[in-house]
Amino acid sequence: MSYREKESLINIFSGLLITGIYAWIIYQKQLAGQFDLTVNYNKWGEILLIFMGISIVARIVIYIVFHIINAIATREEDIPKEDERDKLVKLKSTRNSHYVFSGGFVLGILALAIGMPVYWIFVAFVASALLSEIMDNASQIYYYRRGI
Amino acid sequence: MGKKVIHNNIRKLRFSKDEMTQQQLADEVGVSRQTIVAIEKEKYSPSLELAFRIARVFDRSLEGVFFYQEGNLKE
Repeated sequence: MSYREKESLINIFSGLLITGIYAWIIYQKQLAGQFDLTVNYNKWGEILLIFMGISIVARIVIYIVFHIINAIATREEDIPKEDERDKLVKLKSTRNSHYVFSGGFVLGILALAIGMPVYWIFVAFVASALLSEIMDNASQIYYYRRGI
Repeated sequence: MGKKVIHNNIRKLRFSKDEMTQQQLADEVGVSRQTIVAIEKEKYSPSLELAFRIARVFDRSLEGVFFYQEGNLKE
């Protein structure tokens, strides 16, 4: 498995892990009555902003740990430089990722249109953001393996 | 209509050029070894610029390294 494929796998697992843990913590707080996300929409903004910060820091830490472990395991310290094939794979994967995110956004709007509670739009945002990231990285693995 | 694929004989040319490794070719043309592997396996068709750079390494014309053919040669 190439460095890029391993990197994509790590991104999928870290995305699931970070989002899963954070969502569980927030859900426990909701159950404990610390806030009510079904009516307090401003709190969603606060929670999502904090999540973005935590996610960035956690990913940097995970990436550093991955790079160290990979360097020890493969004895290759240098990160392979990005060439035209890598750029094309990224471009196509980003396109697929945008399809998923756009689909999630439309589903969220549809949910509102058919009378679902307003907080569903935020749930749709978080879910489509996670799914689009998985799609992005899964697409990269697919294109690297199958070819483009 | 058959599948359109750009075929190449890079592998053969590498061996006839003092058994040049994929890494050596990759370094000369400025891409990763994985990209050379993908081109040899015909999983990736290089850009025109990269194709010219590869051809130049082997002192060949573009058609001396790459050739276009509808359908899969292996079929």
